[in-house]
Amino acid sequence: MAESFSAKLANVVLPEAGGGDVRLGSLWERYPAVIVLLRHYG
Amino acid sequence: MRDHESEFKQAGATLAAIGLGDMNYARLFREETGITFPLLVDAERTAYQAAELKSANLLHLFRQENAAARARARRAGHHQHKLGKNPFQLGASFIFGPGNRDLFVHVSCTFGDNADPKSLLSVLSGRLSGGKLV
Repeated sequence: MAESFSAKLANVVLPEAGGGDVRLGSLWERYPAVIVLLRHYG
Repeated sequence: MRDHESEFKQAGATLAAIGLGDMNYARLFREETGITFPLLVDAERTAYQAAELKSANLLHLFRQENAAARARARRAGHHQHKLGKNPFQLGASFIFGPGNRDLFVHVSCTFGDNADPKSLLSVLSGRLSGGKLV
């Protein structure tokens, strides 16, 4: 079975514009999360 | 999407955006727009590559749907800010749930091919699953 997008992204860690780092999987660990990968800011 | 932040919250979901620009630009964008949800900076395209998202090419600029999408964005009062290091990188919209479940997937095929926020809200309210009516 193909790996889900959420599984592929769960362990990616990115800096947050307000400070600190976020492991993406932590965003949907307990509740659903809408994740938008932008092409550009705007 | 940012116009619908409160609706996503009311539906019990977190909203987070990932952008390609650098940190300074992300901070400026946050200040300009007043967004309060997480804005993550992916200057190296780590997440985009992990999700194997598509890239466009110059020919996509001349597609009819691209012109329509730009007109739609202008009417909504949005304007395109600075592009990242890879202007051809395309985006995606997802809803993920606990246990790494993909509840909604929309991978952009060309410029302006974005998920309709109403579709995402429908998934969150339990009316849709995986982009299909259930």
